Amino acid sequence: MNAPPSIPSWSQPPGIRIENLTLRFGDETVFENLSFEIEGGSFVALLGPSGIGKTSLLKTIAGLTPPVAGCISASDGAPLAHRIAYMGQQDLLFPWLSVLNNVMLGSRLRGEKPDRARARALLAEVGLAERADALPATLSGGMRQRAALARTLYEHRPVLLLDEPFSALDAITRARLQERAAELLRNHTVLLITHDPMEACRLSHQLRVMTGYPATLGEPIEVPGATPRAPDDPALLNLQAELLKRLLAGSET
Amino acid sequence: MIARAPFLRVAVPLAVGVGVLIAWEGLVRFYQVPAFLLPAPTAIWQAFAANADNLMVSLWVTLKVTLAAFALAVVGGVGLAVLFSQNRLIEMALFPYAVVLQVTPVVAIAPLILIWVGLDHAERALLILAWIVAFFPMLSNTTLGLRSADHNLRDLYKLYGASRWQTLTELQLPSALPYILAGMKISGGLALIGAVVAEFVAGSGTSTGLAWRIIESANRLQIAKMFAALFLLSGLGIAIFFALTLLEHLTLRHWHESAVKREN
Repeated sequence: MNAPPSIPSWSQPPGIRIENLTLRFGDETVFENLSFEIEGGSFVALLGPSGIGKTSLLKTIAGLTPPVAGCISASDGAPLAHRIAYMGQQDLLFPWLSVLNNVMLGSRLRGEKPDRARARALLAEVGLAERADALPATLSGGMRQRAALARTLYEHRPVLLLDEPFSALDAITRARLQERAAELLRNHTVLLITHDPMEACRLSHQLRVMTGYPATLGEPIEVPGATPRAPDDPALLNLQAELLKRLLAGSET
Repeated sequence: MIARAPFLRVAVPLAVGVGVLIAWEGLVRFYQVPAFLLPAPTAIWQAFAANADNLMVSLWVTLKVTLAAFALAVVGGVGLAVLFSQNRLIEMALFPYAVVLQVTPVVAIAPLILIWVGLDHAERALLILAWIVAFFPMLSNTTLGLRSADHNLRDLYKLYGASRWQTLTELQLPSALPYILAGMKISGGLALIGAVVAEFVAGSGTSTGLAWRIIESANRLQIAKMFAALFLLSGLGIAIFFALTLLEHLTLRHWHESAVKREN
């Protein structure tokens, strides 16, 4: 990513270490003593049935939902806060701000000087250069999702938590955006929630499947080779079948 | 499709109004209804023309009380709701009393208020009473609006390091705006009702509002003049409603779901 010198870049994005994390909503235990690690600079896809607690896990890592117990830390020992960008299921664009101002929202809130050039460049990356001054209500669902992605990238954080960022897109736009994202998200530590085994297999270095109540994580599945992988790669198709099998097995329990 | 044609939206209700007036006039003349029961529209018009000066002065008095009460209700309601949103304890402590103020019939408090402000300052009593009636919708709507900001957007603000002030002014208040404007539409009408009811109960001292004109005309059996005052009150209410609807449209048209024209 061609960040201007005003924004400090990172040489190696930190990994995330999750230790004995427990989350409860009232009497309901979402997960208990959950421990896993995400290597710095890796792209991890998190799959699992709806309602299992994937989004809750992401929000807990982002610091939005306080856990009952457990510890979330960065592998380099420095605090994780302010190094995480989060993109939710909904686009969360502010209806009264133009697309451009939505992208630059973070810097405005922090009282920094908004970097218009970079915001416009990111909008161009996601194919929204023409709509920079439009209001979100005039955009289609896919366009809004792309604007939200541009905003997440504008935050310029080494750790990205993405909750089904491409789910609202049509197949063609999704495939294109996945390829762009794979480029743009290089040199980030990414945890991506997705329901799409194909998406998981194309983009990630490692897959994790979350199942059960309270939820547990299955053994990591390593995906070899450079990303983004071609959709017709035979190895990818095999892996996708394997993944579907695991998901189906997980949803029966 | 019919409901969308702008011309018809004005023309149809207008035609109904004209039709009713013509029928009214015709029936009153045909059955020779006594003027003290139901005056004909032309008689009402004549009564208005003959008393235009004092009716317009009264209209101005009522308008002043209404607008002042409404403005205070908006400022007070939004202000207190903002305070509530910042501090749950204050909300817990004060909200029940706001409800008490709302549910106690204003007519019942009127004599007390009048005694407190003094009979020489009846217009102050009118203002306070109209404000009591108009205040609560502003408070409850704004409170609801401030709470209804999307939780995910709040999370986003938290993540982006927004201050409490920024969250209030840039997220909660804009999210509450449709609720505030809806509250204003209710409150504007209630301020007028409050001003009139208060004047019925408390009188209006030296300056005379439209409510007092109605009482006065009724006592003197000047029913045509009473109708004229009544029409002025309706007209005032309609004008307030339209002004607030226009404000709502102008404020929300660019971004709110209720006003944005869809492309798809």
